[in-house]
Amino acid sequence: MDVRTQEFAAAANRELKNERSRNFLGRLAPYFARSCAGAMKTFPDPAAAVACGRAIRADAVARLPDLLEQFAKNALACGAKIIWAKTAAQANEFILALAKEKGVRYVAKGKSMVTEEMGLNEYLKTNGIDAFETDLGEFIIQLLRRPPFHIVGPAINLPVEEIRDLFLAHGVIDEPTTDRIALGGAARRYLRDKFRRLDMAVTGVNMAAADTGAIFNVENEGNIRLCKSSPAIQVSVMSLEKVVPTMNDALHLLRLLCRHCTGQKLSSYVSIDCGPKKPGDADGPEELYILILDNGRSEIYRDVKAREALRCIRCGACLSVCPVYGKIGGYPYGWVYSGPMGQVLNPLLLGREQTRDLYFATTLCGACRDVCPAGVDHPRLFLHYREQQASSVRAQGLFFKAWGRLVKSGGRWHFAVRLLRPLINRFAANGVIRKMPGLMNGWFASRNLPALAHKTFHKQWKKQERQRDAGRR
Amino acid sequence: MKTVSLFIPCLVDLFLPRIGEATYRLLARLGVRCIYHSEQTCCGQPAVNAGFTKEARLAARHFIDVFGDDEAIVSPAGSCVCAVKTHYPELLENEPFWRERAEALAPRIYELSQYLVDVLGVSDCGAFYDGKVAYHESCHILRGLGVSAQPKELLSRVRGAKLVPLQGAETCCGFGGEFANRYPEISTAMVKEKCENYLASGADLLLLNEPGCLLNIGGYLSRHVPDRKVMHLAEFLAAAGREER
Amino acid sequence: MPDDVRRFILRKLKNAPAGTAPSRPPLPPLPVLSLNREELISLFTENLAEQTGMVYRAANAQDIKPHLAEIAAREQVKIMLAATDAVLAPLHLRAWGKTTGVEVLTAEDFPDRESYREAAFNRVQAGVTGADWGVAESGTICLLHDRDQPRLISIAPLLHIAVLPVERLVAVYEQVVQSVYADKNRLPAHFTFITGPSMTADIQGGPFKGMHGPRKLIVILVG
Repeated sequence: MDVRTQEFAAAANRELKNERSRNFLGRLAPYFARSCAGAMKTFPDPAAAVACGRAIRADAVARLPDLLEQFAKNALACGAKIIWAKTAAQANEFILALAKEKGVRYVAKGKSMVTEEMGLNEYLKTNGIDAFETDLGEFIIQLLRRPPFHIVGPAINLPVEEIRDLFLAHGVIDEPTTDRIALGGAARRYLRDKFRRLDMAVTGVNMAAADTGAIFNVENEGNIRLCKSSPAIQVSVMSLEKVVPTMNDALHLLRLLCRHCTGQKLSSYVSIDCGPKKPGDADGPEELYILILDNGRSEIYRDVKAREALRCIRCGACLSVCPVYGKIGGYPYGWVYSGPMGQVLNPLLLGREQTRDLYFATTLCGACRDVCPAGVDHPRLFLHYREQQASSVRAQGLFFKAWGRLVKSGGRWHFAVRLLRPLINRFAANGVIRKMPGLMNGWFASRNLPALAHKTFHKQWKKQERQRDAGRR
Repeated sequence: MKTVSLFIPCLVDLFLPRIGEATYRLLARLGVRCIYHSEQTCCGQPAVNAGFTKEARLAARHFIDVFGDDEAIVSPAGSCVCAVKTHYPELLENEPFWRERAEALAPRIYELSQYLVDVLGVSDCGAFYDGKVAYHESCHILRGLGVSAQPKELLSRVRGAKLVPLQGAETCCGFGGEFANRYPEISTAMVKEKCENYLASGADLLLLNEPGCLLNIGGYLSRHVPDRKVMHLAEFLAAAGREER
Repeated sequence: MPDDVRRFILRKLKNAPAGTAPSRPPLPPLPVLSLNREELISLFTENLAEQTGMVYRAANAQDIKPHLAEIAAREQVKIMLAATDAVLAPLHLRAWGKTTGVEVLTAEDFPDRESYREAAFNRVQAGVTGADWGVAESGTICLLHDRDQPRLISIAPLLHIAVLPVERLVAVYEQVVQSVYADKNRLPAHFTFITGPSMTADIQGGPFKGMHGPRKLIVILVG
């Protein structure tokens, strides 16, 4: 998938003018708040349930190397084939080689963010293997060639007219219709044929339990279950942080994941693989490959603060509560992961340089951190990334150097503040500053600033103190 | 008699000294003696937010030097309180001497409404206001400090004032310091929505207790809806009380 | 060399500064654990209904077939694919089907995987299975897949009918997993939690059932 993170500001401004998206986004936050809060109330003690989930993810990240090793050993013992890939390229090459070796003409995909991160579809396509996304939303955005608008509903913002045109152009429907049900039904028929003759499927992994070597997938549509039932070859790709210590840990995270994702107690389908099918089974994969992908994560892991981003379980709650995402939607984030989730993950996976906007385009309001069932502290990570990049901004560096000299002395600080007043108040009229040419243009685009007060609080206090002293004398 | 040390952050000192004054008057009226260390500077939040932690550490150490021995520190700015409480121990994590002092300081610093309700046990400030008010929950006060009930408790005891619900009260107003200037379109969309919700609430005054939000919301109103006001809680409680008398 | 990659990744992770594993607060016991049989049944039914799954009650094994006949007639099921698991096998559905005009197929009827797949996707109007557990906390049924419980039966057709003996109803998922892993020598390859029909809301957030799998899920609770 193309990386467009550097076009954040331009794309955001474009999306701000998109009435349809704005309309949809305006309804998203209240809808999500209701559905998630409603679902969380079904816990006797929601706060304890969240605390427990956060501790599971914290524990999993802290013990990642050991858990991963344990998981791989147990999955292998169950008969799965474990493939390790250092990079996205290695993972793609493996899947392509397997598809070629088995002589498959196409593969079906279960919704999987990590394969989007790998750019698997494009890679297979250019090498002669078609890959069909089978989750309806993913299917639509694959035809549309856009990143997901929202991790839970990748195409949920699209008007039906656009889907109609897309489906017509790609032969999913023959007659134009804007009926949601008819469009969904057409996608069902189109993909059903792919499933029926499917030889190889590629899915993601929601959780992997170290104690048993089992992998979990969560979905509502059933396309992943079909991917695990119909073909003879199943490749499940997991980024290496998906592992949790135990089955029971995975079960509790399921409770939190579904409630934060769609407001359900449990999604329609949770399927758990403990190896390939047994001899005599009518269906299921003859061969189950579990591809463990690193793609930079072992490097991230060396940074003790940054590694906490690996707690993320991709529920998407942070997107739905984010006031910035709520204005611009998922596209400006420019890659697979959007919203606060993308703002913490993309800089780690793509580097801080080309993702600068992602960790600055936040008010640090903390709504994401508060809602996160995995205990990711997004604002803390943004500050960490900013710290790592601070040395590359020279002008700001000089400013803060000077600032640093002032801030450690009250005398110097208040002297400087006194000098500031006339400089700024040059622009004031009637106690209001409407603009300061060349300075803070962004602020003044829509806002005034009060003129600096005649006397700072500091000065007033000193004056009154003198008066009080004089009075006492 | 209780004594508190006033921590007056930069935005208040420079732009909104009347909020500092009001804080002082209010506390004095409630029988609290205020002291003010004139050596105080900035808490370092702008440097932390920009990623300049080395410089932020200078501010943190200075702050701890200035305020370190005070029994209670009170500020009309929740985000600065939040910076001291949450950022300092982490900023100074590798300097045991300073870290310990930062950790010892953290429980002694309060946002104004938090101090009034939780420490002084006051909820009636003797204030009076004839009209409807709405309350904006600033992010760092609500989520950073977990303070939300206290200001509402104070407002509920203002005679004549009716607190009306504000849609999206807990949603960020779009200030975010440098964010507002760097991403003006996004920030404007956010503050615009905040103001629209205020206008739709039926309140004739919007109250909050964070100077950053005040400059943002106030700045937008001043430009677009100049007859509608936003006010800091300290000013509201202090001034309204005076009127009654 | 794949093993080199494994070693490389694990070494890199292990060489990173050690993390401190935080203490783990226990999950407070879920109140559902203290429910009696009738309460479990009503919670199960209520939760499944939330996801638009339907629950029919059958007093005993004899009572199952009239339900099946009624469903088959109403849903116009002419051919159904049935599992041969321990719940269904004693019912002899094939013989029952002959008397009611429903053709009942099982995976064993097909010479190869290809023809079985073709039937599961295109020929049958319903799949009928036993259920290994019901979980009250979310109205979920659990299917352990093996040669008698093929996977496609419960996901390929438009209608899934599951027969759940009431004594298989438990409170929480953990009880299911504990049972699944109780016999280390008989671990399944695959098991599934099912909570309602196949659903999507990917177009404009509007619900659409039967996206890929069943449009309807009916659980016949026996006993």
